[in-house]
Amino acid sequence: MSFTQQKEDKEIEEALVRDLQAGNLDAYDKIAELYQKKIYALSFNLMRNQMDAQDVTQEVLLTLFRKINTFQSKSAFSSWVYRITLNASYMKLRSKKKEPNVSIDELLPSFNGAGFQQEKIQDWSENTESLLFTNETHEVINKAVGLLPEKEKVVFLLRDVEGLSTEKVSGILDLTIPAVKSRLHRARLFLRKKLSGYFEEYNSKKGET
Amino acid sequence: MICCKECIDLLYDYIEGSLEQETSKSLEEHFEECPPCIAFLNTYKSTTTICRDTLNQIEIPDEVRRTLQSFLKEHKNQEEKK
Repeated sequence: MSFTQQKEDKEIEEALVRDLQAGNLDAYDKIAELYQKKIYALSFNLMRNQMDAQDVTQEVLLTLFRKINTFQSKSAFSSWVYRITLNASYMKLRSKKKEPNVSIDELLPSFNGAGFQQEKIQDWSENTESLLFTNETHEVINKAVGLLPEKEKVVFLLRDVEGLSTEKVSGILDLTIPAVKSRLHRARLFLRKKLSGYFEEYNSKKGET
Repeated sequence: MICCKECIDLLYDYIEGSLEQETSKSLEEHFEECPPCIAFLNTYKSTTTICRDTLNQIEIPDEVRRTLQSFLKEHKNQEEKK
């Protein structure tokens, strides 16, 4: 997306927010249309459940409407929407039975005394293409992301999946920039390790045939 | 010469391009001598790409979209009556 396009989008969005603050209901429809996919996708990726994501999306859309006058244009409107979505998703998750936490540290790389890698590292990065669009691969990836601890997962979803800047994520989550970076790095290491098992197995099977 | 552990600690900033020139250079020297770390770098980068591509495919299912539409319509009607 070009810079001018982004600027125009931002202006359109600001105008919609002002209209909604003034009580214009058509602006509400447009804002809902602009944001419902983002809200749904983020909450779905956090909770992995269609019904829950639907509930959260409804709730967030309602909150946007009811609380629009508390929104201050100091921060971006989208950051505000993300924050409300995260809060609503966490409330929902808390009301459910918790799955046992996986320790991320066990899956981080290990080194010997001299600082060399201890495990054998295979490069499967070239061979993911043919697997990417299979259901099995989707399942593996979704499951791996699902296993990330909450703190790392949310940073990963906002930064790597949504593609927001480190600064924006730090504002939304009220974290320092180094904290965002370190959580994201840990999330990537964890996922890399989880996916390695799957892709390495695929590669060795391919080697046999 | 930096070791694998330092190398992996630096990967994030290396990919962002935010390392000092000198650090970046010693990292690249390490890569030249350490195929496992190159494999690690490649798969680290791939991990982000394939996860993003997969998770971004989420669309609102039709039935959810319909529910949301009628929810919004109902909500708007209530507000208009106020």
